[in-house]
Amino acid sequence: MSEILTLSYGAAIREALDDGLARFPDMLLIGEGVPDPKTIFATTQGLREKYGAERVLDMPLAENGMTGICIGAALAGMRPVLVHQRIDFALLAMDQLVNNAAKWHYMFDGKQSVPLVVRVIIGRGWGQGPQHSQSLQAMFAQVPGLKVVMPTTAGDAYHFMLDAIADDGPVLFVEHRWLHHVTGQVDKDRPAAGLSRAARLREGRDVTIAAFSHMTIEALKAAVVLTEHGIEADVVDMRCLTPLDVDTVARSVAKTGLLLVADCAPEMASLGHTLISRLYQRQQNALKQAPRLIAYPNHPVPTTHFLANHYYPGAERIAESALELLDRRPLLDSVRRQLQSDLAKDQPDRSFVGPF
Amino acid sequence: MNVPTTAELQDLYYRMLRIRRAEEAIAARYAEQHMRCPTHLCIGEEAIAVGVCAHLTESDKVFSNHRGHGHYLAKGGSLVGLIAELYGLAAGCCGGRGGSMHLSDLSAGFIASTPIVGGTVPVAAGYAWGEQRRNSNNVVVVFFGDGCFEEGVLHETMNFAVLKKLPLVMVCENNQYSVMTPLYERQPARDIYQIAAAHGLQAVSGDGNKVEHVHALAENALAAARNGEGPQFLELHTHRWPEHCGPNEDDELGYRMPGELLAWKQRCPLLHTGRTLADARVGAEILLALEQQIGAEIALAFSEALAGPAPALASMERHVYV
Ligand SMILES: Cc1ncc(C[n+]2csc(CCOP(=O)(O)OP(=O)(O)O)c2C)c(N)n1
Repeated sequence: MSEILTLSYGAAIREALDDGLARFPDMLLIGEGVPDPKTIFATTQGLREKYGAERVLDMPLAENGMTGICIGAALAGMRPVLVHQRIDFALLAMDQLVNNAAKWHYMFDGKQSVPLVVRVIIGRGWGQGPQHSQSLQAMFAQVPGLKVVMPTTAGDAYHFMLDAIADDGPVLFVEHRWLHHVTGQVDKDRPAAGLSRAARLREGRDVTIAAFSHMTIEALKAAVVLTEHGIEADVVDMRCLTPLDVDTVARSVAKTGLLLVADCAPEMASLGHTLISRLYQRQQNALKQAPRLIAYPNHPVPTTHFLANHYYPGAERIAESALELLDRRPLLDSVRRQLQSDLAKDQPDRSFVGPF
Repeated sequence: MNVPTTAELQDLYYRMLRIRRAEEAIAARYAEQHMRCPTHLCIGEEAIAVGVCAHLTESDKVFSNHRGHGHYLAKGGSLVGLIAELYGLAAGCCGGRGGSMHLSDLSAGFIASTPIVGGTVPVAAGYAWGEQRRNSNNVVVVFFGDGCFEEGVLHETMNFAVLKKLPLVMVCENNQYSVMTPLYERQPARDIYQIAAAHGLQAVSGDGNKVEHVHALAENALAAARNGEGPQFLELHTHRWPEHCGPNEDDELGYRMPGELLAWKQRCPLLHTGRTLADARVGAEILLALEQQIGAEIALAFSEALAGPAPALASMERHVYV
């Protein structure tokens, strides 16, 4: 019988890195802060002590150069996992990621490949502001050759990390900072998903909510309250961005006829748009109403909490949209009241007191 | 090397003390949870900002990084504007949109600080190019850390700056750490300033905790940049006392060598300059008066800043496109 662990998402990543280092002698874990006392929000804790400074190491502040060096090491048979504490910093590595890592297998006729994992952390809160809290996953997902995954649950975080390490191509592993403390079950013996497919996290007949990363948590919160009012939402976690699993969403929509997509990125050119467009192209007639997209506004996040508090949509907006789609507007007030929280939107939970 | 007069030294002391006390006031109030942004304090490093900026005219320009409070204040940035910015208020120097990591006071010639490491370095060089092409006689100074020296963009910038003989002074604050990673985990044992020299900049290194020393090195560098001798590079050794980001000290985490922080505290720029002033018979009562003046100014700045309104909700979507 398999053992099921209850772990936070962050601890699940740590566990996967630990198991990866044990299983793959060629794996390297590298990044600014990997062995420092804060160990990338505790996701690399204890690994240097266990596997040595040759395999678990810090790096110079040189994102582009070090990405290229990791690509070269990967070509030479290593399996580097490179960490960027914020996705914004990965922009400095765009050239190596896009022009080399993502293209190598294709441009050399499939004869070479780059088994590289790049962990990037997206997020929000505590005044991270315009250059430290962007959600740029769609930019990366647009690049052919780069697999982009964005797991939401601890179980997926564990398995996707190991699958990404085992993958012979480059994988961008996108973590939302606010997921790190969310706990879930990790069954190490669960069959691998192979870095594909969405996951249905909740069954419901009335409305399909397809959500990305942290928005899935918000969708689940909304779904719990909607249930109390007799509305059952089908919640699909869009945990893989490339390929984007339209099939699972299509099956759900065939049942519910209503689609609400919740993305955690600016609306412009988002994955939310891609999903809606693909679904519409496939089964226009399955939709009883025009689909809805909830996403961030198309402007940067200001640092000031007075404004940033109004930037991020959450469970409340998801529930409101669902009620509107179902034409159940009279429920708006009570559902809103149930979902309202006095927790400031720049804090993931009450224990968090800044500055990160 | 030119030695500052006692009056000059007293002024430098005053400017350093003002930065120190402002940073301490920010640290003391940070736990109240109303300054909700990442804040990188420069306590222990004040001599560099002050020693360099003391020579700058209002029309000279400064660029900085995530650890920018000291540079901003030394260049004459508004204290009220800084504090209001930390609190996310409308009167903040960026209207609250930026917080601690994005400062600007154009009227003081402090153009910008941003937190992507290396981000402002080429921009400063470009600004210097513009000044050069307008024959303005202004100099542009950019402050960055030893970690930043590892970024490719810095080396690309040095190449172009030398090629065009830009009136640029690059100031590397070498505090030995990039977040919690020590220099020896990131760079081989060789001098940063000599690499800058190999790029063709006029480069020197010095003690960043002795303000008279910084003052003298900066005077030469600024004069050379102004005289068309091309970009200058100063590597100044110093140490940050507080944690990388946040109001506290974090020596208990053990990423520094035991005793390292204490040794640097004994090399405190204020302590050092205070002693020199005492030797020059500047009485304790004069320094005490400076303390009081600064204390009153900071208290007033906090109350003035906090009296202002929050930014209007509609302003959030403003200024995306010109
Ligand atoms: C491109 C980029 N990579 C990583 C970071 C995260 N980061 C912020 S400050 C910092 C250390 C910078 O060290 P240094 O340049 O020496 O300046 P110091 O903080 O010591 O003053 C790092 C790695 C960042 N802001 N930007």
